[in-house]
Formats: sequence, structure tokens, C-alpha cells
Amino acid sequence: MSDEQDRPGVVVGPSSPEVVGSEFAEVAVSVDHEGNGPRLKLEDLRTGRVRYLDALELETVVWLPDGHLRQLLDPSAHRWREDK
Amino acid sequence: MDCVTATVPQAGTDRPDYSALIQPERVHGSLYTDPRIFAEELERIWYRTWVYVGHESEVPQPGDYVRKNIGPQDLVMTRDREGQVHLLVNRCAHRANLVCEDERGNSNSFRCPYHGWTFRNNGELLGYPYHQGYGGRGKLNLGMATVPRVESYRGFVFGSFAEDGPTLTEHLGAAAGEIDRLCRLSPEGEVELNAGWLKHRTRANWKLLAENETDGYHPQFVHGSIFSVTGSPIGALYSEKSTAVTRDLGNGHSENDLRPEFRRHGEPMRWFGTTPDRVPDYVAKMRQAYGDEAEQILVEGAPHVMIFPNLFIAEIQVFVIQPLSVDECVQHSTAVQLKGAPELNRRMISQSIGSVGPAGMLLADDTEMYERNQVGAEQLRPEWLEIRRGMHRERVDERGLRVGTATDETGMRGFWSHYKTLMEDDK
Repeated sequence: MSDEQDRPGVVVGPSSPEVVGSEFAEVAVSVDHEGNGPRLKLEDLRTGRVRYLDALELETVVWLPDGHLRQLLDPSAHRWREDK
Repeated sequence: MDCVTATVPQAGTDRPDYSALIQPERVHGSLYTDPRIFAEELERIWYRTWVYVGHESEVPQPGDYVRKNIGPQDLVMTRDREGQVHLLVNRCAHRANLVCEDERGNSNSFRCPYHGWTFRNNGELLGYPYHQGYGGRGKLNLGMATVPRVESYRGFVFGSFAEDGPTLTEHLGAAAGEIDRLCRLSPEGEVELNAGWLKHRTRANWKLLAENETDGYHPQFVHGSIFSVTGSPIGALYSEKSTAVTRDLGNGHSENDLRPEFRRHGEPMRWFGTTPDRVPDYVAKMRQAYGDEAEQILVEGAPHVMIFPNLFIAEIQVFVIQPLSVDECVQHSTAVQLKGAPELNRRMISQSIGSVGPAGMLLADDTEMYERNQVGAEQLRPEWLEIRRGMHRERVDERGLRVGTATDETGMRGFWSHYKTLMEDDK
């Protein structure tokens, strides 16, 4: 741990993924440094699909009302739709 | 609750005559062996009255869930984002698949693995894949079923499949005071049941267990080996000379009240088989929390109470009885953990492992008796099981509760009296 790492907004060094998993989903979580700034890397381990979230997107998720989150959890909201 | 009662045969005029089967001094063997009676018990006891399900400390965080049960019913106990505890029936509203398989986890929503129907952890349907087959999104009002009534007392969560009936407070009656006695052994006044559960599948009718829990007649015989090996003073509590009593607490609840013996000795922590100098931090915290009252609490110790129909608090551990069929049940057991008492909690876990663990010496002995008892009860003669011990010397205490000596069958008689009321109830 360097002193620099303790500064807000600064993450140093590679981040090994941790898995946030349950019987319903398994997602690997790590901080990616390939870009000019850090971003969260989320990998759905059941499909291999990856999503990156930057700081502003993460803050948006934090502020997302519970009702919006529930709508996103509807399987036919996006992932399982007849028109896809 | 169609999902529950559909499996129970309709009661007709040929129902068992419970008044004939349950007499003041004896009960009929068929009560332990007749599948028809077991089916009626599910309907009239397990799917109607208050049944202990779990403890709030098992779902401490929002999104936490644990698999639980009421008899053969598979339940999920959850805590939602607002902190409220729910009991869901673990069955998808679509094609009846089990929704949750893990024993415990954290998830604010559950997705059935069969067709992807997704539910909030309060049971509400969040959605289903390919919605056009149902005319669009949000067209179905099909959530996971919930246990209609859920209440907790000092963190102990009970459920009732009946929409109406006595409140939990009314059901617990005098037994609530025994839960209070357990909680006050914590410097913070709270019990936690988070040490993990052991499950013992037992080939015996559930009532043999419920009756045995406050049977003070058997310890000297069945548990003689553990008493002699450990040098435990517990055996003497259940001798003919003991001043301890067996009390019918009403509503089928009963206790072995060991306090008269502990008061006679007046030694703090004797109830736990130790002395204050062995657990100094705990004793200091108790004296700080309770002041002058601490001495009495530390002398009198923990309750030994059977709460009808399935919760047994045995001083340092908790048992939950889960009936599966007329001759099979599961005993779930865990060590009591007292909030703010890590020193005592470590010992509680060690003692519980020694008594009810896989190589434990207490539960294995009891279970041997249960299974022998079941086989015996299936024999044709003499048909009856005795419950008359100590009837001639029963008295009524200052609270109006029936009391017998330490080895009397007062608790069993209270159990059967309540059982008969429930089985004959025409409502």
C-alpha cells in the first residue's frame, strides 16, 4: 500500500477480481486501469459478457431509485425480449 | 392457502376420536403411528397455529435470506431493504419450481432457474422473460406466496399459515417470560442464533421429541454416561430429591424450572457448570449492565422450556423440531449466542458441539430413545403410553400454573391437553 493509494479517487496497481456471487448470478468485479482513468470492470461469469462503469456511471447507480432498479430486474426489460 | 391444504384429506365423520385417544393418564399409540393423524396435525397444528421459524439474527443485513421450514413446507426467511422480515413459501408462482436452493445468501431479488421469473425478496413478482406471451409487462399479479402472519418476539420469528387466530403474545403466554430470561443473560439483553445449525434426521414421530424435552424422568437413565464422564451436576437436578419443578405453562408449553436448585446453592454460573473466575469478562459486563440484579440472573441461569409445537430452548442451545412424516422428523440445533458475551459464547459453542455435535453425547442418546420409542409404539399391545406420573402430587402455583416435581410428567399432560383442543377444534 503506497501513500498515494490512500488519496481519494486514486487507485494504484492491478486489481485482482473478486466475485460477487449468489445462486442467481456470478459477477467478477475489478478496477480496470487500461484507460486514462480507473473504471469498474464487471464480468458476468456465466456468459463472459463484460461491462465497464466509470465513476460518474457508478455514482448514477448509487443514486438510482429502488423503483428504477426493480424495473431493470424484470427479465424482459432488456435481456430476454421477443424483439431482440 | 390452497397450496398448503390441498394435500390434506377432507375431514369427514370418520375422523379419529381424540377424546378417546387422549385420556388424562394415557395416550393411544396410534397418535404416533397413524398417517391420517399426521395429516390432520399438519392441517390443525403446523399450518394453523404459531410455529417457530427462525431468528432475526440469521438475516442481519438487508438482502439476507435463509432457507427455513414449517413442517414439510419449505420457506425462505428474508430481510428487505427497509429491514422488515418476510417468510416466503419457496415455490415459483409459475410452474412451482423451488426458487431458492442455497441454505443462505444475500440477494434482494430471486430468479427462478426454470423460466427466469424474478421476484423481490418480499415475494412480489418483478417480471418474466419474453413478456408478449402474457400480453406485455406487468400483466400478472402472481407473487411468491407469503406466510400470512409473521411476528417476532425478542428476535424469535414465528409464522402462522392462518389468516386469523390468537396473536403471538396470546400463544406464547407464560412462555414469553422464559424467552425474556434467556435474553437477560446477555449484557445487551439480546440473543443471537448465528453459530450455524446442525441437522439430525430422526426416524420418530415429532411428538416423542416434544414430550421428551421437559421429561425430567429420563436424564438419570439416558444421560447417565455423559453425567458420569463429565462429572456434571446436572443429573442431580432431575433426582427425586431435587427441588426443581416441572411446570405446565399453558398452550402446550412446559418447562423444567431448575431455579429452586440453583437458588439453594446460590452460586453464580453454577447453571453453566463453571465459576465467575473462569468467565471474568462476562460476569463483569453483567454486573455493569444489571447492577444488583445481576447476582440473581447469574445464579438462576437459563431456561429449559419447550414452546409448542417446535421450539426447545435448552439452556445453552436451541432445538427446532421439523416433522416430515408420521415417523420421521429433523432436529435442528444451534448454540445460543448472547450479544456482548464473546467469552461465554465460545464456551457455549464448545459445549454444544460436545452435547449435540456429530460425536456429541447428549442428543445421540436421546435420538436412540426416540427411534426405539417409535418402533415400540408401532407394536400392537398394550396400545397405550403412560403420562400419569406425579398426577397425585401436582399443585397450582401462584400464577395459576400446574406444577409437578422434577421427574413428573406434568409437561406431557399440558402438551396433550392443548393438542387435544387443537385437534378437536371445529373452526
